[in-house]
Amino acid sequence: MSPSLANRLRIGFAIGFAVLTAMAVIGVGRFIQQRQDFEDAIARSYQVEMAARVRLARGADVKPARSTVAAQAGRRQELRDQISSDTRDTALLVAAGLIAGLTGALLLFSGLIASMRRPLEELVEASERLAGGDRGARVEVGGLSETAALGAAFNEMADELEREASQRDQLDRLKDEFVLTASHELRSPLTSVQGFAELLMLERDSLTPKQVDTVEIILDNCRHLVRLLNDLLDLARSDAGRLAISPKPTELAPLIDDAVRTMRGQTDGASQTLTQQIEPGIPPVNVEPDRIRQILVNLLTNAHEYSPPGATIGVTARVVDADVEIAVTDDGPGIPESQLEHIFERFVRGDAGLTQRVGGTGLGLAISKSLVELHGGTIAVASTVGAGSTFSFRLPIPAAPGAQASR
Amino acid sequence: MTRVLVADDSETILLLLRTRLELAGYEVETAADGQEVTELMRGGEPGRLPDLLLLDAMMPRKSGIDALRELRAAGVDTPALIVSAHQDATDADAPTELEVSGYLTKPIDFDRLLASIAELTS
Repeated sequence: MSPSLANRLRIGFAIGFAVLTAMAVIGVGRFIQQRQDFEDAIARSYQVEMAARVRLARGADVKPARSTVAAQAGRRQELRDQISSDTRDTALLVAAGLIAGLTGALLLFSGLIASMRRPLEELVEASERLAGGDRGARVEVGGLSETAALGAAFNEMADELEREASQRDQLDRLKDEFVLTASHELRSPLTSVQGFAELLMLERDSLTPKQVDTVEIILDNCRHLVRLLNDLLDLARSDAGRLAISPKPTELAPLIDDAVRTMRGQTDGASQTLTQQIEPGIPPVNVEPDRIRQILVNLLTNAHEYSPPGATIGVTARVVDADVEIAVTDDGPGIPESQLEHIFERFVRGDAGLTQRVGGTGLGLAISKSLVELHGGTIAVASTVGAGSTFSFRLPIPAAPGAQASR
Repeated sequence: MTRVLVADDSETILLLLRTRLELAGYEVETAADGQEVTELMRGGEPGRLPDLLLLDAMMPRKSGIDALRELRAAGVDTPALIVSAHQDATDADAPTELEVSGYLTKPIDFDRLLASIAELTS
């Protein structure tokens, strides 16, 4: 088992305390003993001197008594020198003990810090790698028992994350496969339903008006289902990274014309005004024409369906910086701010979509965003409640337009 | 009368195609998979062979693409239309040497189908 940080700290403190306490006890003990001895010696010296002075006063042994008095004064001076030197030594001893204890503690701590630092640095590094998407990031388990436990916990967490991520990947793949297969498999029965309904309409003269209406409803719903299937398929492909485009140099004006013509019947039916304003001299862009038409029809369909009868819908195209910007503007009800940030997510529809007869699939904007981004462009929305909305997308102008101009 | 051989693994689709094509004045033969297509083409009397093939791309046993590959290898040059459930069926599904005359996706746009057939058999 790895040594524990707490155990090392405990041992370190114990040794430090033992050394310091021992030094202090020894130092103080010695100091008290020396002081005691000193005072005893001084007292004895005074007693001897007093005895000599008594003899002097009596006039007996005058000569030796005088020398004794003198000697005792010298003796006491010696003792005083001795005690101050002993005190200094003791203080030095205690100071040395303190310094030794503190140095030992410092060395012990720096050793501990050093032994924690490497595993911690490794953990930080591995965490950053893991956060950066490297699912294989692990740390070496070792060192102190605490860092070893931390490392083991980190590795366990990383294992769990990796397991979950691979499960999620697999679920995503299954979902994409499912949508691809489902939209594929649904097409045959849908072909039959739509085909036989069309067959009925070929004989509409022998049908009652009510029957004709009924078949119209079937056909309307078939068309809606086809749109939904196509949109789902596009999104599944986009998710699986299999939505591909084959771009070629394309003039945008005829594409916009075409999309506007496609929508004209529907906007006229709602007494809506549909205008287009294409800036002259827009260079060709590198796009797949069908996909750009799909985006335009999506945006125009939204503008048409979410705007009331009599509204005005406009398409504009112009060069902005190094991009072509195509915008679809309506003067409809607008989109509340709370819905704007989710507007490009799938199955997100404006309030009107839930209450009015809006025929969209809820996928148009999500697909449009994928398609614009696939072309290297960006899509944006601006809206004011009560004043209308503008959906615009930008497509980059190829770096060398000269090659196209010479065509 | 112009003869069209239609192959699809769904009986309902075959009925639909037969009805629409017969209404438009074509004689229709049907096959349930690519195997039947190649057998019909081999066993048919010369002069009674179809003028056009309308093949579903994906069928059990033998796909429309595989059947067409065999027929082309055997020197059959009857024009062929491929019906696919793919939204964007293109030449990627069948190599150019199969000489596919056109691709249709499900649900079938009959105006387009009838226009293609008329053009290819005129």
